[in-house]
Amino acid sequence: MTRDWWKHLILILGVIIVIAPFYMMVSYSFKSPGEIDRGEGGFFGRQEMMVDERCVKLRDPSREDIAAAALRFPDTTDGNIRNALVAEAEADCAVRPVVFNYTKAFSEAPLLRYLLNGVIVTASIFLIQVVVALPAAYALAKLKFWGRDAVFALVLFCLLIPVHAIALPLYIMLAKLGLTNTYAALVVPWTISVFGIFLMRQFFMTVPDDLIDAARMDGMGEFAIVWRVMLPTAIPALLAFAIFSIVAHWNDYFWPRIVVTGNRDLFTPPLGLREFKGDGDGSYFGPMMATATVIVTPLIVAFLLAQKRFIEGITLNGMK
Amino acid sequence: MSATEPPVTCVAPAAAIRHATKERRAAWILTAPALSLMVVILLAPVVIAGLLSFTNYSLGNGSFDWVGIHNYEKLFTRSTYEKMFIATLTYVVTVVPISVGLGLGAALLINSLGRFREFYKTIYFLPVMATLLAMAIAWEFMLHPSIGMINRTLEMGCGTVLERIWPFMANSCAERFPLWLGDKRYAIWVVCFIGIWQGFGFNMVLYLAGLTSVHRELYHAAEMDGVRSAWERFRLVTWPALGPTTVFVVTITCIRAFQVFDTIEAFWPQGGGPNKSTYVMMFAIFEKGVQQNLIGIGSAITMLFLAFVMFLTLIQRWLVERKVHY
Amino acid sequence: MAELSIENIAKRFGETEVLKGISIDISDGEFVSLVGPSGCGKSTLLRIIAGLEEQSSGDIRISGQSVAGQRAADRNLSMVFQSYALYPHLSVGENIAVPLKMRRMTGLQRLPLLGNIMPGAREARGTIEQDVSHAAQILEIGHLLDRKPGQLSGGQRQRVALGRALVRNPAAFLLDEPLSNLDAKLRVQTRAEIAQLHRQLDATFIYVTHDQVEAMTMSDRIAVMMGGRILQCAAPDVVYEDPDRIEVAEFIGSPKINILPVEVSGEGRLSLLDQPLNLAVPGANRGVASLGLRPEALRLSGEGAPIHGHVVHSENLGSELYVQVEVTGLEEQVTLRTMPDRRSALTLGTPVALDFDAAKALVFDADGARLRKLRNLSATTSEVA
Repeated sequence: MTRDWWKHLILILGVIIVIAPFYMMVSYSFKSPGEIDRGEGGFFGRQEMMVDERCVKLRDPSREDIAAAALRFPDTTDGNIRNALVAEAEADCAVRPVVFNYTKAFSEAPLLRYLLNGVIVTASIFLIQVVVALPAAYALAKLKFWGRDAVFALVLFCLLIPVHAIALPLYIMLAKLGLTNTYAALVVPWTISVFGIFLMRQFFMTVPDDLIDAARMDGMGEFAIVWRVMLPTAIPALLAFAIFSIVAHWNDYFWPRIVVTGNRDLFTPPLGLREFKGDGDGSYFGPMMATATVIVTPLIVAFLLAQKRFIEGITLNGMK
Repeated sequence: MSATEPPVTCVAPAAAIRHATKERRAAWILTAPALSLMVVILLAPVVIAGLLSFTNYSLGNGSFDWVGIHNYEKLFTRSTYEKMFIATLTYVVTVVPISVGLGLGAALLINSLGRFREFYKTIYFLPVMATLLAMAIAWEFMLHPSIGMINRTLEMGCGTVLERIWPFMANSCAERFPLWLGDKRYAIWVVCFIGIWQGFGFNMVLYLAGLTSVHRELYHAAEMDGVRSAWERFRLVTWPALGPTTVFVVTITCIRAFQVFDTIEAFWPQGGGPNKSTYVMMFAIFEKGVQQNLIGIGSAITMLFLAFVMFLTLIQRWLVERKVHY
Repeated sequence: MAELSIENIAKRFGETEVLKGISIDISDGEFVSLVGPSGCGKSTLLRIIAGLEEQSSGDIRISGQSVAGQRAADRNLSMVFQSYALYPHLSVGENIAVPLKMRRMTGLQRLPLLGNIMPGAREARGTIEQDVSHAAQILEIGHLLDRKPGQLSGGQRQRVALGRALVRNPAAFLLDEPLSNLDAKLRVQTRAEIAQLHRQLDATFIYVTHDQVEAMTMSDRIAVMMGGRILQCAAPDVVYEDPDRIEVAEFIGSPKINILPVEVSGEGRLSLLDQPLNLAVPGANRGVASLGLRPEALRLSGEGAPIHGHVVHSENLGSELYVQVEVTGLEEQVTLRTMPDRRSALTLGTPVALDFDAAKALVFDADGARLRKLRNLSATTSEVA
């Protein structure tokens, strides 16, 4: 321990640099615009009551409001009544910065909708990937058929093509089919995971043939074998693949940016955050960082809870 | 089997033949969805991009003309694309060695520790998990010229001894601190830094996995053979054992580096940074092909991009089979 | 070449004491085996001698010099590992050359390309090459020098590991279960070769194994270790015929020695299953004891024999026949060695009466210590030492 002090010194320096943006993101999501501007308030900010300017502006008293309030404030000028009403509005609009930031995050843009879209898209991508890849992997690993080697060679070749690289022709195809700005556009290009086929095939190669022969003796057809025998044995590998796939698509920004334009109902979380940034003026740093925190949190929390599995899943392609 | 052996006659019974046919049919049905999707989603686009790169096609236009290699010619003559190649190569050539080196360094340091290994591993892996776009925006705030954490921290160095020993500090304190993202001298390096920040934890984890597979007795053998320094031990045992990991890590980092997009689009939605100094290929494809509807030129960049990536992967596979397999 | 002396070595891992004060002197050119069941501490002892692990207390001297605090690299010992531990990226020749390069060349001379132009590098490389080919010649692996370890069979790798060990004339060779990864046939062959190599090199060998046959066939002396102690250290035939303790008698010898529970009555006379034997242990305390009889100490006999039972199993090895006998009143079966021509008379279920050679009887007290003072009561009263 004492001999290792210099190692810890270097590693802790690294930790500070790695953590800095996370620290700042979470910290800003707690602070009031003033504190952000002046760079004060420590990590949590002072959490003094602040006035939501927009809320006050919305309640700016009109002539009717003043007339209606005249009863409550007898014997005074309209000007004074107006001032009293503004003061009331300010009192009602006072919130703690952390509450302000997070409520704004959810109210200024349909963040919940974005999160829901994220879940729908990542879940459908993963499910379809499994439905497509698992039977193919089983056939490639365990069945003898003419053309098997050719199909596997094709799989190996397709491993060379990153989907991001062929985004443009895919976009053109989808546009020609009139599918841009639909859920389908977000999901379709990812439905085929060559890597998933490759991975599952390698896994199935290790499953003993006896298991399959036994299932056949029990009268199961090939389809039943895939779903009732192979799927359960593949659960650990599938779990790792699930993490790999979900992390990649929850965080993906490039593809949604291409095929979804303008239609907020289809925005995935990164797109929503991007739009928030586009509109925002300087005073919206707090809510924006709150949005970023909300988007980043689910995966980080899941990662902290199941580190081993996550690291295994993310580094899956290390197994090639 | 040698030719001199008497032929073994084995007549397959009808049932077995029927079974084989059945198995073949089942196999094709099982692979059909995957096969057709592979063709439609992965192969067809490559062909389409290849064809369109020789046209002046744009979406919405009914007709198009074949323009030969005009698009490719443009790629290699226009200064915009020269900047694109420079930006992409600068990024790749910077990010790959540094993030691989840092990944290896961190893995070696962490592996040699008794305690807190999990702690460091977890922290360094966080950026890999986090949504890059969100983190890019966080970095943008950190790099904000006036209220960003980085310049604020640097300002604290003004008036200290740092100002005398570090010319950068002296200049900045006298005039002002860099604009970072707005300054063409810094922009690409900032993007590189974020790329390294995000990726080295991934490499570290792969190297840590590689290190566990180094046979412990080899270290003892090296000790018995007279290896005294940590450096010699690394050269004789660790580095050769990490060969396959290194080939893989370098390739995947290269491919990821070529695909950099999120940070650049977040920082400079229009035009790829100050003086196009961060106009990388993915952004060019997006801008030309999708935003400006210049499909021909976008396809040409796509083809070039694919060529780069395939070339890299093929080199990796060749290396894995040739050199690093014992 | 040198003699080694190990003085009161102890090793603790936290609370557990793996070695409890081991002392042994090994003379120049001797072949000593450390043998014992797994977990007895033999490998730890070897690694402490090598310098790969540090002892908690005690000292080791090589040629009279204490090596306390000296690194493994500086002890001039070489080791053959169980997994052979060959560098997978280096060819056989390069593997064998590593210990020479590390010792004879400077860091600069070892540099990949640049090293060749350093002064003296060429000469150093030349002599190293000579030494490597000499070592390869001894082990008959000259034709393998350009191959990578991955392309070799287990037996060939084993030879390369030996080559790497012997190329630099170390003070002593340490071998850690070097045969355990070979198949049975190759093991027997390599066993003889290592013994031959020892005679040829006339070097000090310390050999760790859990296989008592290896230890018996190769060594000048065997140190039987159990529970972190050396129970007995002597020549193989002494350990076999004259064990100090019951554990040693049980560990050495195949098939295993027969241990029969006996009573010590008055005057030290032994009785088996309430039958008095013609054997006494003068001066022994009354109570239980154990009678150890090797399979060859038993013989078929007629009426009046002390042991009765019937045949339950027999194994014909061709040159000899082992017969398992279930003895009435005893839980464990007794193994008897006899000539194969008796086979027809010893079919399953045949009742047999067994007698034993009192001169070969080994008696141990209740704690397992050997009782050497025996008196044969059958014929003339003679002492068996």
